[in-house]
Amino acid sequence: MAAVGLKCPECGSLDIVDDEHYSQPQLVCADCGAVVSEGLLTTTRSEELQGTDVRYSNSTEVNKQPCRNQIKGIHRVRALCRILRLSFVMEETAENYFKQAYEHPSFIRVSLQKKEVLAGCCILATCRQHSWPITMGTMTCLLEANPKLMGVVYQEMVKALKIEAPPTSVIDLLETHCQAYKLSPQHVHEELSESSKDLTKRAAVLLELAADAWLVTGRQPVPILTASIYLAWQSLKPTQTRLKYTLARFCQMAKVAKSSIAPKRVTELKEVLCKLGQELPWLRGSEMTPQTVVQMVDDILNYRLTLLRKALKSHEAALASESELPPSLEDTQPGPRDDAPSLDATASQPDAESAQQPQQDVDLTCTVVMGGLSRAGSGQVSTPSKRSLFEPPSVTHAKIRRVQLPVKEVTGDEEISDSEIDSYIRTPQEMRDYAEAKEALSSSEEEF
Amino acid sequence: MEQNNSLPPFQGLASPQGALTPVMPMFSPMMPYGSGLTPQPVTNTNSLSLLEEQQRQQQQHGMPGGSGQTPQLYHSQTVTTTTLPGNTPLYNTTPLTPMTPITPATPASESSGIVPQLQNIVSTVNLGCKLDLKTIALRARNAEYNPKRFAAVIMRIREPRTTALIFSSGKMVCTGAKSEEQSRLAARKYARVVQKLGFPAKFLDFKIQNMVGSCDVKFPIRLEGLVLTHQQFSSYEPELFPGLIYRMIKPRIVLLIFVSGKVVLTGAKVRGEIYEAFENIYPILKGFRKTT
Repeated sequence: MAAVGLKCPECGSLDIVDDEHYSQPQLVCADCGAVVSEGLLTTTRSEELQGTDVRYSNSTEVNKQPCRNQIKGIHRVRALCRILRLSFVMEETAENYFKQAYEHPSFIRVSLQKKEVLAGCCILATCRQHSWPITMGTMTCLLEANPKLMGVVYQEMVKALKIEAPPTSVIDLLETHCQAYKLSPQHVHEELSESSKDLTKRAAVLLELAADAWLVTGRQPVPILTASIYLAWQSLKPTQTRLKYTLARFCQMAKVAKSSIAPKRVTELKEVLCKLGQELPWLRGSEMTPQTVVQMVDDILNYRLTLLRKALKSHEAALASESELPPSLEDTQPGPRDDAPSLDATASQPDAESAQQPQQDVDLTCTVVMGGLSRAGSGQVSTPSKRSLFEPPSVTHAKIRRVQLPVKEVTGDEEISDSEIDSYIRTPQEMRDYAEAKEALSSSEEEF
Repeated sequence: MEQNNSLPPFQGLASPQGALTPVMPMFSPMMPYGSGLTPQPVTNTNSLSLLEEQQRQQQQHGMPGGSGQTPQLYHSQTVTTTTLPGNTPLYNTTPLTPMTPITPATPASESSGIVPQLQNIVSTVNLGCKLDLKTIALRARNAEYNPKRFAAVIMRIREPRTTALIFSSGKMVCTGAKSEEQSRLAARKYARVVQKLGFPAKFLDFKIQNMVGSCDVKFPIRLEGLVLTHQQFSSYEPELFPGLIYRMIKPRIVLLIFVSGKVVLTGAKVRGEIYEAFENIYPILKGFRKTT
């Protein structure tokens, strides 16, 4: 029996049955056969149980074929390997990594952008494991990706796959970087040209020196590479023509990208060379400046061991003589020569000042030049005995830190005064003003 | 398919070399493998190994007029030289299996004498009642509320100088304090402000979620060397970030180590973890101190 209370309009009988006409539900009178009412012939989309879209991940196709994006990704990995001319073994490894990473739970649901970058990261990891020198920057360029995204995905991938990929050292990168410089006789004038081999050799020595002088650790590798190649090029034939070339012009000539950081590295490297060059015996007392040092680079590099020893000795002597006399009485450095002219000259002044102001508690200006020591307020002048010949620039030019207030001892359970809390609450007048102002602002915004 | 890398997993670091030790530090076969005492085969092709020796000698023969701050410590450490088996380590290092070291094992030297300073404490507390953020923003002077940007009220107090994020569910995050007690006091002050604004705020489940500390070891560090010997723990990408990220497993702390010698420690739930982590890392860093 169908719904109770339904009467057939034709014969008035109460015997109404549910009868389907093919797929159309109908209510029919059992006595006279009149159709009382009928339902819809077709169902709506939401009522359909069969024939709806099934998500790819729920279908059985997942087991038969890898998803389209994975296939595309593998092709991308292969293409990049071909571009970089990697060996077959490395290509296989990179593909394996990519497959593993793609199916890893932390990567299966990420955006397509990240999956594209993942391909590059796998290749990067493979290159590092096989000591093939390539920078992350190069990979980022090839993928045309965001460098930050590259970094994030790379670190996630290494963690997820638990692989160990030691970072490439700067010196390994030098040779490949050097190849990019177009300085052969067919590209530039004969006087300005230089063979890649000689350039690499000289630049390698300069780079080693820079690394030992703390100019490389913690910094971007490419600017220091550019700087060492530039100085190597200048010093291999220090003619006036070459010396007149600035870094920017050199990069333009060699068809290499300019960098805003490389000039700073050039300056730092020249300072290091000056410190060593000062010890050359045939200078006979004349000053070694960054301008004149380039001509002497050849000699400096040839005898760098001896020069280092001598520089250390004179540095020790300078420190010893400094500490003998109380710093407050010293205005100028004792010796005529100092290994760190820029450092010591400025150090002597605050030395004298700070000694006269022992109560200057947390003023860190004097400690700024003192190699960035962060201990403050002791009133004691930090002695230069800790200063070595070479120091990382972040120590030499330490940031001036905000004055640190001494940490108050609290128990955490003290009484909280009402007045203090009331100072954080608005008065009724303020509240009214605030509400009015907000209304005025929102109404003026609505007008636009 | 895990590829264990070409480098052997445990290249320990050189024990602190002073002029009193032989040039090649001794290591006996009794040392637990991978205890961190196996000297690192330093491939010193450059000219400066000579330099380092000289420098070391210079420092041995007295620091002229050493200031009171750290040199005392420095002297004592070079005197105690290599640590050998038989000394109980300062902190319980678990017996290490060769392939998966958990703790960078510490040679048993005295403590470093440097105490990391706490810089930031993040804590959470449940005020136990639903809050109307619009009312709070209207009635409190020190609150800002921009629902389009972030779904919480940002409130600040002057003493202790902290910031709180107050959510409509009644939960609150308090940041910026320099000690656990200060964080607790600050959280209570915020709760009192919310109370005075007319809500029945309580102070439930106060918990410190994160502590950040920093300190300075006062010597430059060769990060490239550190990442090679402690590959399983460190990540050093100069193109991305100038510092080395060291993820210590026991205690579970992340350290940011910079070339200048400054170290930032984060991820601790209690103060002791920061101190412990620093005591664990200090001997390792000393091994990478290259005085040039």
